Amino acid sequence: MLMMDVETAPRRAAPDDVLIAIDQVSKTYVSASGASVHALSRISLDIKPGEFVCVVGPSGCGKSTLLRLLAGLDGYSEGRLLLDGETVAGPSRKVGVVFQAANLLPWMTVRDNVGLPLRVGGQHAPAGDRIERLLAVTGLGDFGDKYPYELSGGMQQRAGICRALARDPEILLMDEPFGALDALTRERLNLELQRIWQENRKTILLITHSISEAIFLADRVIVMSARPGRILADLHVPIPRPRTFDDIVLHPDYARLAKEVRGLLNAQEHGHD
Amino acid sequence: MTDLANVAAPALSSTPTKSRRRISLGSPIAWIGLAVLIVSWIAAVNLLNIPSYILPKPDAVLRALWSGLAVSPTSPLGYYLPLWSTLSNAAVGCAIGVGLGLVIGSLMAEVEAIERLVMPYAFALQSLPKVAIAPLIVIWFGFGDGSKIAISALLSFFPVLINSFTGLRAVEPERIDLMRSLSASRFETYRIVKLPNAAPFIFAGLDMAVVYALLGAIVAEFLGAQRGMGVVITQAQAVSDVAGVFAALIILGVLGIVLHGIVRWCEARVVHWGANRNK
Repeated sequence: MLMMDVETAPRRAAPDDVLIAIDQVSKTYVSASGASVHALSRISLDIKPGEFVCVVGPSGCGKSTLLRLLAGLDGYSEGRLLLDGETVAGPSRKVGVVFQAANLLPWMTVRDNVGLPLRVGGQHAPAGDRIERLLAVTGLGDFGDKYPYELSGGMQQRAGICRALARDPEILLMDEPFGALDALTRERLNLELQRIWQENRKTILLITHSISEAIFLADRVIVMSARPGRILADLHVPIPRPRTFDDIVLHPDYARLAKEVRGLLNAQEHGHD
Repeated sequence: MTDLANVAAPALSSTPTKSRRRISLGSPIAWIGLAVLIVSWIAAVNLLNIPSYILPKPDAVLRALWSGLAVSPTSPLGYYLPLWSTLSNAAVGCAIGVGLGLVIGSLMAEVEAIERLVMPYAFALQSLPKVAIAPLIVIWFGFGDGSKIAISALLSFFPVLINSFTGLRAVEPERIDLMRSLSASRFETYRIVKLPNAAPFIFAGLDMAVVYALLGAIVAEFLGAQRGMGVVITQAQAVSDVAGVFAALIILGVLGIVLHGIVRWCEARVVHWGANRNK
């Protein structure tokens, strides 16, 4: 386990084996009511290629903001943000984003939704094979011609993950992708995501509310504080893969990590009251 | 945006709500309503002794309808030539108005400078009773087809302008985020996300536009024309042929229902996801 006080952490030059380098990044934005909101406070985090990192934190702690900064959707106020050594200045082709609640376009078939990244933004890749393979891998092989409203929530989010993988990005950013699903569907998709990750070793940063989901999926669990978001803990998950939900709850590290994360989050709640 | 939606309320009364207008041609309630109307009409004429120059008897109206319909399509006495004249002018005007409404509505939604430039004038014009401009348009375009087309275009322009503008702005921010995350161009975002998203709004505008175009052509014909359904009505009125006026109105009413039906049919085909999603 690694506990790190961000404020005093030494500034490091991004080494070669760092794919995502977040260095002292702060974000302040002006809310709709005109108030200035301090969303992130000097976040520093290095993520290696192929790592699976989950970020947990109380609602409104800025974890989604962090993901939007990495996706190049929002600008940041201070610090440095590097993807593969390049400063983030906007959306990057190296990044695929999985949104909350799938975010499929209802007027397109599942196949067209999944293939969308290959048809826009100056991409004219022949979609055919790759899309069919992705659909097959995620169990959507027979659903390519369906429309999103004909699919269950779980199926829709599978399609959302497929779409994020269409350009074969190095990095997958996932913003509470399974938050709207029922518990069983959620576990099934967690298993499937683990399998997809083990097969192609994308670097994944996943935002979640769920402590069990974070520990099940992650190599590292990042615990964030209430707003302005800071990193409270960076916990290594030494549980061997492939993990299953039946086994993991019996693993002593699972209990220890869950207790620690819950403790940190609860302390936040009380500090807030 | 919200200000706009409020100001635009009259034009927006037809923003898409799928439960609206469930009463179609097949609805028994609609037919019962028609039967009640005709029975009370017959009762009123016969029991209250209303003179025929105020309210003609249904059979007189039917005879007038028949004499207009049961003729050769090229007969100057039938409805076919005036109908064709009115419809073709309304169709051309509607196409111009809808096209301009969609293009300018899109530009307003996409470019804030154009929105600020056009919006005040659009509302000034919108709040003006446009039928009152009709005499001016007749002065400019003459008594021929030009003035009919122009008034039809003017009347059908606004519902499409306001509805397409509102619909294009009503897109969920997550969908814009998706396109941004894919580095999509502005036009790709417009074509792939915003336009389909606005389609139900645009069809609601189109639904009003086709009826307004017909109205515009008739009003223009009232002001002076050689042919058209408006002329049929004014000529019948000139000789106190009230049954003839009723017959022409029935033709126009049926025409309105048919046009509305065509728009709904097209919408169901284009906006297939919306209709099915509610099943």
